[in-house]
Amino acid sequence: MKFSRRDLLIGSAGATAGFLLTPVPWKLLGDVSIWTQNWPWIPQPVRGPVETTQSFCTLCASGCGIRARMAAGYPVGISGVRNHPITKGALCPLGFAAHQLNWHPQRLREVRHRGRAASWAEARAAFEKARKEGPVAVVDGRSGRAASSVLEAFAKKENDSYQVVPSVESQALAPYADWSGDPVSAFGYDLENVRTIVSFGAPLLDGWGAPGRFTRLWSERAVGAADPQLRLIQIESSLSRTAGCAWQWVPVREGSEAQLAAGVARVLLEEDLVAAQGPMPQLSLVEVAAQTGLTTEAIRDLARKMVENRPVMVIATDGNPAIAALNVLLGAVGAPGGIIKRGERVQPQAPYEASGGSPRAILLDATVPWEFTPKTDGEVFRFAAWDGGGNKADWLLPAPGFLEELTDVPTAPTSAVDTYAVALNLVAPPAEIKGAAQFLLELDPSLRVVEQVIHRRCEELFHARRGMVYAEQAIAITEFDSAQKFEEQLRKGAVWMDSPPRISAFRCELKEWPAENNVRQGTNWAAAWAPPVLPALATKLYQESNLRELPAGRQA
Amino acid sequence: MSARYGMVIDLDRCTGCGSCMVACAAENNVPPATSRATPRTGLTPMLVRKVSNGADGAAKREVFIPISCMHCGNETPCVSVCPQQAVEVDKATGIVMQMPQRCLGCRYCMVACPYHARYFNWWDPAWPAGMEKSLNPGVAVRMRGVVEKCNLCHARLHSAMEKAAANRKKEIDPADYIPACVEACPTGAILFGNLADKNDGVFSAAHSPDAFRLLARLGTEPKVYYKSGQAWVRALAERDSERAKESEHV
Repeated sequence: MKFSRRDLLIGSAGATAGFLLTPVPWKLLGDVSIWTQNWPWIPQPVRGPVETTQSFCTLCASGCGIRARMAAGYPVGISGVRNHPITKGALCPLGFAAHQLNWHPQRLREVRHRGRAASWAEARAAFEKARKEGPVAVVDGRSGRAASSVLEAFAKKENDSYQVVPSVESQALAPYADWSGDPVSAFGYDLENVRTIVSFGAPLLDGWGAPGRFTRLWSERAVGAADPQLRLIQIESSLSRTAGCAWQWVPVREGSEAQLAAGVARVLLEEDLVAAQGPMPQLSLVEVAAQTGLTTEAIRDLARKMVENRPVMVIATDGNPAIAALNVLLGAVGAPGGIIKRGERVQPQAPYEASGGSPRAILLDATVPWEFTPKTDGEVFRFAAWDGGGNKADWLLPAPGFLEELTDVPTAPTSAVDTYAVALNLVAPPAEIKGAAQFLLELDPSLRVVEQVIHRRCEELFHARRGMVYAEQAIAITEFDSAQKFEEQLRKGAVWMDSPPRISAFRCELKEWPAENNVRQGTNWAAAWAPPVLPALATKLYQESNLRELPAGRQA
Repeated sequence: MSARYGMVIDLDRCTGCGSCMVACAAENNVPPATSRATPRTGLTPMLVRKVSNGADGAAKREVFIPISCMHCGNETPCVSVCPQQAVEVDKATGIVMQMPQRCLGCRYCMVACPYHARYFNWWDPAWPAGMEKSLNPGVAVRMRGVVEKCNLCHARLHSAMEKAAANRKKEIDPADYIPACVEACPTGAILFGNLADKNDGVFSAAHSPDAFRLLARLGTEPKVYYKSGQAWVRALAERDSERAKESEHV
């Protein structure tokens, strides 16, 4: 039989069809897809028993309670602690990936002097030399910690200066400190008892204070009713996240917030809507309307709404005195649901002053925001766990990263009640890493080490016999037998919270209506975040979606 | 075990913070973006979209809509089209499971999904050196060339089942199985539970007058519900994704 071209084609087609009917190609295809998913260069998670430990996030001053899942000695997952009395299980979006920060490519692992590698001995020698030549300044970004007391004790021993860079929230409380004479760290916001909040651009739902505190309150009391228990009025030039979620959004011309405050004050005084008598602002209502872009009737309406559902509190983005003065007029200072004085455990602090002479050297703690640049002729020694780039300091000194340092967590700047917690060093830091307090302790071994300070503070709290300890359950401090057991509980991730303070009026006297200075616009979502870098997974928010923009001054 | 797991997301409580997106990625070992990734090519099994009402000035309003796999319960589109049986609906839980080991990367399922909730792994998963130590040991890393999506944190369900089995119980404790996005939401906007259980909070929330499902007219019975007291937000439910995209102001 002659084998024709036609037979060849038929045979080939039949063989192909027959082969496809067997399981062989499909099995091969499946196997190939499995093999190609197991390349050696694909990262594999570490194996080991998984344990859960409670601690606190120390990347900003809020000190949110965290639950860290640990495998083979490394944190592999972070979640919030629901029993935390302030943060209530919430974390900021960055906190959920904070455990990846320690491996960030910008992690500082060696001492650097003006861009070149150096040693701790060289840094120490340079700092000691500068200190012999004249006074040095020690700058802290988060006062009240055990480490802060080491920094302060070191500075005060030789008449050097200890200064604090105030947080964004602390700056907004500064006018009340000026008017009353009390330290700014004494004040807090009594959000739990307020019924109307008037925010002049403060990003209350987007990175203001502890993430869980206001967002939970807002969710529980401000959503789901036409006339909610808590009214949030947002005065802002653009439709921010907070403005979009507010009970009322008042769009004003950018930078005219202080003028609007003056206009509202004029209405409050003219229409006798407040009991207090205060100085009348210079600006007329027509002038305010022209500057803010609102109608005079809208300003009157805003003033009336502010006093409709009391207590009312005004919150600003910065320490603009004209906006803070509204709280004085509204009787929201030293009253429930207003600006309150927290308690007795308040340490005065000296805010950083650029004009306070030029020290021979400035030592910046790792808690000082990366954006902060001191003006000095002397050398700058900056502790940082991550290098944010730029010519920020003469010396870059590698500090412990996330969960790598034993530290205590004092009261957050906006809190209405004093709190205290201890964050353990759950992760071993890389070699050659040390914090500012440890560096200073090596220079002056007579100082008390951080662990001793924490121990002493726990004893003080125990002997004061006040407040509750929030662990799995809330336990009164009086139920502990000894200071040691109390400290052990704190080291397991519990948080101590003072009894609610007896709210007492304090005097804030306005002799004249403050000048309507420009207001700083709302801060970005990473404003409170001390590191100059973001966790790698933040790309989900600004690169792999259009949800947010990369915050200014931060690196991925 | 017979359940129908689902979520009810209260859009009036969503502030668009993005915690759910980051927590989801951390829990499920989703890698960070390569330098070339874009919103179109990124991996976001939970994605929060911002949509406005289209008005200007003081009348403008925005809403954030977290979108994950809807775990369709009827004629699940991705299941119907997958040539590899890499997608299955788990009858015991109602969860639409994606099995990357079987996936060929043909992306038919991405085309079929009416919610655009599936993502293709365009690049080898990579983390900065050493960061692999921070990966969740309960979840395997997926390879380049496969499709990914939300599986309602199935590894957490496994852990809950193991715990129940160790305690000689047939049913899991609901407190042991909470997906990462639900746990992460700072306002408690995401409610998770068994939609088949009338005593579960999620059941009553899904049947409230303000509840709705996206593209319910398609009849795919998604198990992710949304809730809003605002009529214009509820009206978004039946808009197709292209028209919704047009009005996104991001």
